[in-house]
Amino acid sequence: MNRYLSPRRLTRGVLVTVALALAVIAGAALAQEVQLETRVFEIARQLRCPTCVSESVSDSSAPIAQQMREIIQTQLVEGRSDTEILAYFQTRYGDWILLDPPKRGVHLVAWLLPIIVGVLAIGVVALLARRWLANSRRPIEASPEELARVRRQLGTTSTQVEEPGTGGQN
Amino acid sequence: MKLQRLLIPLAAVALLGTLFVFGLLRGAPDKDIASVYLGNAAPGLQMALYERYQPEYGATLDIAEHAGKPMVVNFWASWCLPCYQEAPILQEYWRQYEDSGVLFVGVHTQNREGYAAGRDFLSQFGLTFPNGFDPDSAISIDWGLYGVPETFFIDASGQVLLKHIGPVTPEVMDEQLRAMLR
Repeated sequence: MNRYLSPRRLTRGVLVTVALALAVIAGAALAQEVQLETRVFEIARQLRCPTCVSESVSDSSAPIAQQMREIIQTQLVEGRSDTEILAYFQTRYGDWILLDPPKRGVHLVAWLLPIIVGVLAIGVVALLARRWLANSRRPIEASPEELARVRRQLGTTSTQVEEPGTGGQN
Repeated sequence: MKLQRLLIPLAAVALLGTLFVFGLLRGAPDKDIASVYLGNAAPGLQMALYERYQPEYGATLDIAEHAGKPMVVNFWASWCLPCYQEAPILQEYWRQYEDSGVLFVGVHTQNREGYAAGRDFLSQFGLTFPNGFDPDSAISIDWGLYGVPETFFIDASGQVLLKHIGPVTPEVMDEQLRAMLR
């Protein structure tokens, strides 16, 4: 057996190594591109498309939304943070451009109101439930005439419809 | 007793109904959103002009070179129907105020592939004030535009007096031009 590599084998080995290296580099570049695109859409999701109705910049195919995504991408490549990019659009459009209103000033109403309403609703439901439970436990008041009418309608004997509060036989 | 029980649900329904009617009647909420530039300096604007304006204004228009002039900056698109409605009005007022030092500027925007359609629009209305193309809507974004048409009225100090959303009318033009030239 020949202990030395033949030139043919050597060439093949080099080619395989180069191909593998290229595949790794291409994969890394692709992964980086996908990661960048994901970040672009993450930021775009927080911005309102100016020319659309209730659509974010990430969902819209309007020319202005496409341009806004391009601006986001350029600024990300330049190394700007998410906050800086959002502020860029905010200085041009005001708070309106943000789909999540900022947690300050009058915008706090949008954040706090659902919580306040939720707490109130739970309180009201709890209060009503307590009242319903108390009512269900209270013995039913019925006059002897009403009892007689029920017995008549049910066609039962007096033992099957007990006096209220005495506990019926099931 | 029965009425008392119904009072809270009835009040809740009445409140929701009132909010619903208010929501329906308050019109387009976006039209109420004031520009962040209102009362502040207008942003810069540099754009390539359509060929027909180049002999007089050059290949590129930079409004910074016209500082000190009151300006009417109109954003339009060839696909926008209200823009067809306002184009003759803008041309008419440009003709009237051209010599009083006011600069009218038209920006064809939000129409990526629309260069040629914009050229046809300009020919159709014979607009003689400088108009340029904003293919990537970058100027639109810089000016905080919501849609088209929108028109900014800027006084001689460069301060934005009004952003008018929708097609301009003779009433709006009269009022704003008077304020700009005061």
